[in-house]
Amino acid sequence: MSHSLSATPQTQPPAQPAQRHGTSSGAFGDKVFAGFARGSGILVLALLGAIIVMLFVGGLKAFSTFGLGFLTDADWDPVQEIYGAAVPIYGTLVTAVLALIVSVPLAFGIAFFLTEMAPNWMRRPIGTAIELLAAVPSIIFGMWGFFVIVPFMAETVQPWMIDTLGDVPGLGVLFSGAPFGTGILTAALILAVMIIPFIAATMRDVFLTVPPMFKESAYGIGCTRWEVMRSIVLPYTRSSVVGGIMLGLGRALGETMAVTFVIGNTNRISASLFAPGNTIASLVALEFPEAPAGSLKLSSLLALGFILFVISFIVLAISRLLLRPRAVKA
Amino acid sequence: MDMSMTENATAGSRSNAPATAATTEAPRIAISGLDFYYGTNKALKSVSVEFPDRKVTGMIGPSGCGKSTLLRVLNRMYDLYPGQRAEGKVMMDGDNIIDPGMDLNVLRSRVGMVFQKPTPFPMSIYDNIAFGVKLHERLSKAQMNERVEWSLTRAALWPEVKDRLSASAAGLSGGQQQRLCIARTIATRPEVILLDEPTSALDPISTLRVEELIDELKRDFTIVIVTHNMQQAARCADQVAFFYLGELVEVAPAAQMFTAPKQKRTQEYITGRFG
Repeated sequence: MSHSLSATPQTQPPAQPAQRHGTSSGAFGDKVFAGFARGSGILVLALLGAIIVMLFVGGLKAFSTFGLGFLTDADWDPVQEIYGAAVPIYGTLVTAVLALIVSVPLAFGIAFFLTEMAPNWMRRPIGTAIELLAAVPSIIFGMWGFFVIVPFMAETVQPWMIDTLGDVPGLGVLFSGAPFGTGILTAALILAVMIIPFIAATMRDVFLTVPPMFKESAYGIGCTRWEVMRSIVLPYTRSSVVGGIMLGLGRALGETMAVTFVIGNTNRISASLFAPGNTIASLVALEFPEAPAGSLKLSSLLALGFILFVISFIVLAISRLLLRPRAVKA
Repeated sequence: MDMSMTENATAGSRSNAPATAATTEAPRIAISGLDFYYGTNKALKSVSVEFPDRKVTGMIGPSGCGKSTLLRVLNRMYDLYPGQRAEGKVMMDGDNIIDPGMDLNVLRSRVGMVFQKPTPFPMSIYDNIAFGVKLHERLSKAQMNERVEWSLTRAALWPEVKDRLSASAAGLSGGQQQRLCIARTIATRPEVILLDEPTSALDPISTLRVEELIDELKRDFTIVIVTHNMQQAARCADQVAFFYLGELVEVAPAAQMFTAPKQKRTQEYITGRFG
């Protein structure tokens, strides 16, 4: 009994390696998986290409009719069939940039507070609140903006701004005009609220990736929190922080519903931030149902889509360019 | 229960021993009755020990014994983390440094720290040194150059980096980076340097260089080094403290500690019986 027990383990192990010869049962599965992964990668390129081509071909009629003037013409007159993209381009850029100016410092403050200062019991609730804010559908922001923010802007904020900032030489023109409540500034503020959670969540996540020892060594030579943030954490996480901001900018550029509610939808460029305006996405959403197939109007709308695409692409390219010196060094 | 009673008793009777053992000079830091808590978990139990001026004190003990915790008390690093707190007296130049009113940025310029792994800042070699100095002093360009050269020389790194001061510190080898971190620490001219297992991530040659450096630096600085390596403690330290489960078991001059420890547990640890 004891002899046979000790004998079996001795004879079995040499027999096992022989079984591994031949085709592995996983080889076929691996091929399938590799093919699937490769296909997915190529599909991204194909999709992107298809969208660009469709927008460009669809907008070709508008581009050939109006030429480069399409970009600079501020008219949008369906009756006379004259279409120009200057107003929505201007509105898109100004609202998005204003939204960034407002949201980046706030998002940075949120992320800084959550990673460096907040007591443990506060981190989770605030972190969750940010994620929930990011999940709110844009139509809700639109309604909230229309029923809450617009009256508030019209009755309180804008009159106050006109009284105080309106008289500053040079700057005053930005804060002039009638306080309608709707307009570029209100749209930018709504956009800012919408993109804060994206930027803040990204910043918080990347700040947390900085090894504690790095932060401690900076604290260890007597840095204040701000000095650690500026000299250690931000350089360490720069590319991801810029990436998070670009994510927010991308959303601000393309946001449709919330902006449509509060921007006023007027085809006019005005120096005042209180004036109503339009954005590409908002204009397309409003006009699309009234654009018959094959019409110059539909082509102009598709051309606008193409322009929005190009703007987003340029934003991405600029962010990559900003980050390049760092990438080479690392 | 019974054991902790006897330990407290020995801790009490030991408290004035190191001063007589090391030097007659006043200690740079004198700790008495220090308790430390991670939340509700007590990590240091009534520790009393003195760090003599311009000597190297080695702290040894198994993982989790509290030696790194004690180090992090000395520059209040634990303050960064909610829920960690210290009670007791840690006297340095007449101030209790765990007093809530202590200016942490000033304290940390007086008590520098070097970590287990090299932590060069994401900037040039020159700026790694100048960065910390600029926080506390306003120097002219020439003075700053002088300070950078001085600290890199003291850290035995100057000959290797003097031609590439503007290069990124990330390009240095691990041993060079650690010496850069030491240079960065001494650049602010602290009184005390804390070393938390400074060679645990280094190869033997780099370790040797850092140990030589420690020996050279103790002429000007009071040094406290945490190490897992008992040979290192024997080579570098003038005085050695042995910690176990949050208690200071024994503190004695290095020669005595490794040849004739008084406590049985010290003997068992240094002969490799546990830990």
